[in-house]
Amino acid sequence: MKRDKQVKRKIAFPMIAHYNDAVRYFIERGLGQTYIMQPAMTRRTMALGEKLSPDMVCTPFKTILGSMIEALEAGAEVLIMTMGYCRLGYYGELAESILREQGYDFDYVNFAEYTTGHPKDYLKAVKAICPHVRPAKAMKALREALDMVKMIDDIECQYYMNCGFETEPGSFKAALTRFYRDMRTAKTRKDIEAGYENCRQAFEKLPIAKDQNALKVGLIGEYFTVMDAFSNLDLEQALADMGVEVHRWMNVSHRNLDYPGEKNLHVRIKAYCRYEMGPTSTANIWKAKKYAEDGFDGIIHVKSAGCTPEIEIMPVIRNISEDYKIPVLFLTYDTQTATAGLMTRLEAFYDMIAMRKKVIQ
Amino acid sequence: MARPQTLTVGMPRALLYHRYAVLWQTYFDALGIATVVSEETNREIAEGGIAAATDEMCLSLKVYLGHVAALIGKCDRIFIPRIVDFGIRRVMCTTFEGLPDIAANIFRDRHIDILSCNISVQGGIDEKAGMVQMGRELGYSKKEAKRAYKRALVAQRAADEAAAAAAEHLYQSRGLKIAVGAHAYVMDDDYYGRPVLDYLSEMGVTAIPAYAVDRREARKVTKRLSPTMKWEVSREIAGSLAMHLDDVDGIILMSVYPCALDSMVNDMLVRKFRDSGVPMMHLTMDAQSGTAGLETRLESFIDILSMRRTGKAVKA
Repeated sequence: MKRDKQVKRKIAFPMIAHYNDAVRYFIERGLGQTYIMQPAMTRRTMALGEKLSPDMVCTPFKTILGSMIEALEAGAEVLIMTMGYCRLGYYGELAESILREQGYDFDYVNFAEYTTGHPKDYLKAVKAICPHVRPAKAMKALREALDMVKMIDDIECQYYMNCGFETEPGSFKAALTRFYRDMRTAKTRKDIEAGYENCRQAFEKLPIAKDQNALKVGLIGEYFTVMDAFSNLDLEQALADMGVEVHRWMNVSHRNLDYPGEKNLHVRIKAYCRYEMGPTSTANIWKAKKYAEDGFDGIIHVKSAGCTPEIEIMPVIRNISEDYKIPVLFLTYDTQTATAGLMTRLEAFYDMIAMRKKVIQ
Repeated sequence: MARPQTLTVGMPRALLYHRYAVLWQTYFDALGIATVVSEETNREIAEGGIAAATDEMCLSLKVYLGHVAALIGKCDRIFIPRIVDFGIRRVMCTTFEGLPDIAANIFRDRHIDILSCNISVQGGIDEKAGMVQMGRELGYSKKEAKRAYKRALVAQRAADEAAAAAAEHLYQSRGLKIAVGAHAYVMDDDYYGRPVLDYLSEMGVTAIPAYAVDRREARKVTKRLSPTMKWEVSREIAGSLAMHLDDVDGIILMSVYPCALDSMVNDMLVRKFRDSGVPMMHLTMDAQSGTAGLETRLESFIDILSMRRTGKAVKA
C-alpha cells in the first residue's frame, strides 16, 4: 500500500504551567508531527504580549500572546489555541488577528471555532491539524498524554506539600527537575510511568522535618494564574520556602479530567450560593469552604487583574472567611506585579497566620 | 390558592433592566403583582453601590448594587434574575450568571429576600421556562404564568421593534450622526451615560444607540465579522455598528471600567472597522469620571467629524 510521505508540520501551543510536555507527547506520538517547545516564559514574554494586547484584557491573554510569538520565533508553523468558558473563548480570534497584523505567517487551529455543542467537534479540529490522523493511534497517545497530565499534577501536589520541610536543601527540587526532564523526553507510556515512579519514590525517601503544627495554606483562584508559576511569580514555592505546607486543588486533573461536576459540588455550597456563578466559581467556593473545614491556617485567592468570575466570588469567599474565622489573602496579578511587592504581602500574611496559630494553641 | 396578595417586588433600575424593563414590568403586571422600581441612578445610589461592592467589580455592577441597596425596605422581594445564555455563542457576561448570588452575599447581613429566575438555554431552561417557573414559585398556575409571559413577550418585542425603527429613522437624518456602541445599561444610565448623550445633543449631534437594532440580523452580521464572538449583547452591538458604517460620521465606543467584554470586543472592532475610515473614539467611565474631561474629548471628536464632513463636501 502506498503511503504518501507527509512532511511533518511544526506545531506549537501557548505555554501553560508544565502541561506543554503532555501536548508535545500527543502531537508527536499521536499525530506524528513535530512539536515546537517555546522557551520558558520570562519578563520578555510578558512584555511582547503586553505591547500588542488591549490594555484592559485579563493578564493571561498577554502572556499567552507573548508565548505564541516566542513559539513562532522558535520556528512553529502551526499554532493551536484552546476554547474556554470565559473571555478565554475569544482569546484565539483576537490573538490571531493581532499576530497577522504584525505580519506573522502561520496556520491556526482555534478550537473555539469548532464549538457547536457536539461531542465530536474537536475531532474536526484534530483533523485540521493533521488530516491523515490515525484515530486509534491518536486516541492511544491522547490517553497517555492525559495520564501524563495527571502524573504532573500529582507530583506537583506532593512537591509543594513537602518541599518546604526538606532537610537537605534542594533535594526535592532536584527530583522534580528530573521528573520534568523525564516527561519532556518521554516517548512511550513506559517512559512516563517510569519517570513518575522514580520521582514518587524519591519524594518518599527524602527526609523531611514536618511536625503537626506546620502551617497549612490552601490556594484557590483563577484557572490560569493559580496554576502557572510564572504568572503567579512562583507563589507556591515562595510559600513553601517560608515553611508552609501548600495545597492547591485547582489543576487540569481535578478541574477537567476528574471533575465531580457542578451539581455534585454545588450541593456542598448551598449555604452560600443558589446557582453556579461562573466557570470555576463553584469549585473555588467549595474548596475554600473545604480548606476552612479541614482546619487550614489560611487561604490565598489568586487571580489576574480584571478576571470577572473570580472578582465576583470574592464576596462569597469573604463570607466563608467570616463564618469559619479563616484568614484570606486576595492577590491580583497584572503585568506590573513584581516579586518585591508580593513578598511583602506574603510575609505579612505568614506572620499573621503564624501568630494566630500560636495564640489559638 | 395561597397567594401573597400584598407582595411588592422591587426592580433595580440598572444592568439588564435597561434591556428587559417592558418584559419584566408587563409580566408582573399581568400577574397582578405590585412593583416598585428604584429611581434613576444618582450620586447617592452610585456611591452606595461603590461602597458595598468589591473594588475590582465593574462600575455597572457597582451601580446595580447601589440600586439593590436603595430598594431595601421599600419592597418585600427584590427581583434579581440569573441570565446565563441563549444558546451556543449567545452567552451573557458572567456577571449576569452570578448576579443573584453576588447580591445575596454582599447584602447577607441585611437579609434581603431575592426573587430570581434562572435562564440558561444550554442548561435546558429558556426564557419562557425560566419565567413560567418563577410564576409558579410565586403561587400562580402554569397557565397564568404562561399567559403573563406571553403578554410580556409581545410587549417587549413591540418595544424593541419600535426602538430599532426609531434608530433606523435617525440614521437617515441630516446633520452629524454618531453611532454609540455601548451596553444599554451604560448608555441609558442617568448618572454615567446620559450626560454624554445630553452633551452630544447640545452640540447638535444625533447620537444613535447601536443596541437598538434588528437583533437577529445584527447577530448574523457579527458571525461573518468575528465568528467566535460569543456574547449576545456584544454581537448585537458589533453587528449593528457594522451594518451602519456608511450611515454615520463617527462611532463612540462607551464602556465602563473594567468591562470584560469590551476590553476585547472594542479592540477587535477597531481592527475590523479600520479600513472603513470611520473615526472611532473610546470613552471609558470609572467611578472617578468627571464630566469636564469628557466634554473636552467629545468636543474635539466632534470637531474632527465636522471638519471631515466639510472636507468631503469641498472635495465633492
